[in-house]
Amino acid sequence: MPEQVRPTAAGWNFESLVRQHQSMVFSIVWHILRDRPVAEELAQDVFLSLHQHLGELESPEHVQFWLRKVASNRALDVARRRLRRPMVSLENAPEPVSVSDPGDPMLGTALQKLVAALPEKARAIVVLRYQEDLDPAEIARVLGIPVGTVKSQLQRALGLLRQKLARSLGEIGI
Amino acid sequence: MNLDDELRSALQRQEPPPDFAERVMARVAAAPPRQAPRPWFRLPATRWAMAMAATVLLAVGCLEYRRYEGERAKSQVLLAVRIAASKLNKAQRKVQMISHRSNS
Repeated sequence: MPEQVRPTAAGWNFESLVRQHQSMVFSIVWHILRDRPVAEELAQDVFLSLHQHLGELESPEHVQFWLRKVASNRALDVARRRLRRPMVSLENAPEPVSVSDPGDPMLGTALQKLVAALPEKARAIVVLRYQEDLDPAEIARVLGIPVGTVKSQLQRALGLLRQKLARSLGEIGI
Repeated sequence: MNLDDELRSALQRQEPPPDFAERVMARVAAAPPRQAPRPWFRLPATRWAMAMAATVLLAVGCLEYRRYEGERAKSQVLLAVRIAASKLNKAQRKVQMISHRSNS
């Protein structure tokens, strides 16, 4: 893990913070929205907001927590706004047609698509769990929801993903 | 297949475009400086509320002072009447005593 950027007497080195956390922020937004131009724009907005709130943040851990929280919540807001347009739910989403061997990049792409079809809150929980490797208590703090909700939504999401994947693998005879 | 491992692999962090940081820095440089939030007592709404409160306080103070002055005047008149009545009683008693003596 790269060394954390720490504030000096003169304050934070903002550019170093951007370079250190850009892949985390961009990936959270990208995995929740699956829309590259929107993810880039939103990730930039998150850093602009960080620049405005930098004086309130005390430590590198605080900055990382703040970025995860703001990135997740802004991506969720955009995802919810998109919900007003008709969307296909995970249950009704078409099976990925080209699933091949586990470990294959095609399986990864299929999984990304299935994750993107999850309800938005469950999607954010899965992204924070598997991209950021956070435990349910940390995810609950980032999203501001009870730990029990995180655990139940995670279990339900994993069940759905397993079902969908098994169906896809069965169809192509793996 | 281990779903946890597959998800970790599928949801790995991805790099944004190479000029991402430069674009963020350009937007930061172009953004207008953020104004410090005004203290609460300088907000227009607070100023209006304070002016209204001062006006109401002044009006209530004037009314209360007038009421107090009226009460004071009233109690002074009552005291004067009470003194006059007691003097009259004394004078009446003296007149009665004198007339009683002259009759006997």
